[in-house]
Amino acid sequence: MAAEIQKKLQKELEVFNSLQKEYQKAVSQKQQLDGQLNENKAVKEELMLLKKDSEVYKLIGPVLVKQELEDARQNVAKRMEYISKEIKRTDVHISALENKQEAIQENVNKLRNNLGNLKIAA
Amino acid sequence: MASVSTAPAPGMHQIDLSKLNLNQLAQLKQQLDQELNVFQDSLQTLKIAQRKFVESGESVEKLKPETKGRTLLVPLTGSMYVPGTIADSENVIIDIGTGYYAQKNVAGAKDYFDRKVKFVTEQMEKIQVLGIEKTKVREAICMMIEMKVQAQAQNTSTS
Repeated sequence: MAAEIQKKLQKELEVFNSLQKEYQKAVSQKQQLDGQLNENKAVKEELMLLKKDSEVYKLIGPVLVKQELEDARQNVAKRMEYISKEIKRTDVHISALENKQEAIQENVNKLRNNLGNLKIAA
Repeated sequence: MASVSTAPAPGMHQIDLSKLNLNQLAQLKQQLDQELNVFQDSLQTLKIAQRKFVESGESVEKLKPETKGRTLLVPLTGSMYVPGTIADSENVIIDIGTGYYAQKNVAGAKDYFDRKVKFVTEQMEKIQVLGIEKTKVREAICMMIEMKVQAQAQNTSTS
C-alpha cells in the first residue's frame, strides 16, 4: 500500500516538474513579448512625432532601405497588434498552467498525508 | 509621497509575516532576493543604455554647419579606415528601434537623445523606488525569521 502511494507520488512529482518547466518557459516568453511590445510602442511614438516629409529607412540585412512614413506607421501598428494577441495567448496559457500546478500540488499533498498516516498506523 | 506609499506596506506585511511558518518565510525571502537581483540587472542595463544615449547626444552636438566638407576617417572595421568628407552636416539618421531608422536634423536628433535619456532615467528612478521598498520588506522578513528561530530555540530548551 505504501509503495503504491509512493509510486503515485513519484509520478505526480514528475508531472509537476515538467509543468514547472513549461511554466517558466511561458513566463520568459511573455517577458520577451512584453519587451518587444514596449520597443514597438517607442518606435510608434517616434514615427508619430516625425514630420510628414521625413525620410524613414528600414534595416533589411545590412542595408537601409527607404520607406514611406505611412507604410512604416502601419507596419508597426500591425506588429503591435500581433504581439498583443500573442501576449494574450501566453497569458491564457500561463494561467492554465498555474491551475494545473495547483491541482497537482493538492494531489501531492494528499498523497503525502496518506503516506504519513500509513506510517503512523504501521 | 514616498512616506505615504511605504507607511501602510510594512504594517500589512507584519501581520502577514507573523502568521507564516519558517519555511514560508524562507521561501518568501528567496523570492524577494530573486526580485532584487532582477532589479539590479535591470538597473545595470538601463545605465548602459543611458550612457549610450548621452554619448550619441554629445556626438551629434559636434556636428555643426562649419564641419561640412571637413575630412574624416570612416572606420570600415575596427582596424581599417577610409578617408571621407562630411557631405551633410545638418541631417543624421537615427536608429529608433525594431530596424527602423529616421532622418532628423541636428536639433531634432539632440532632442531625441535628450528625451531618451530622460525616459531611461525615469525608469531607473522607478526601479530604485521599488527596490528600496522590497529591501525593507526583506529586512522585515529577516527579522521575523530570527524571532521565530529564537522562539523555537527557547521552546525546545524549556520543554
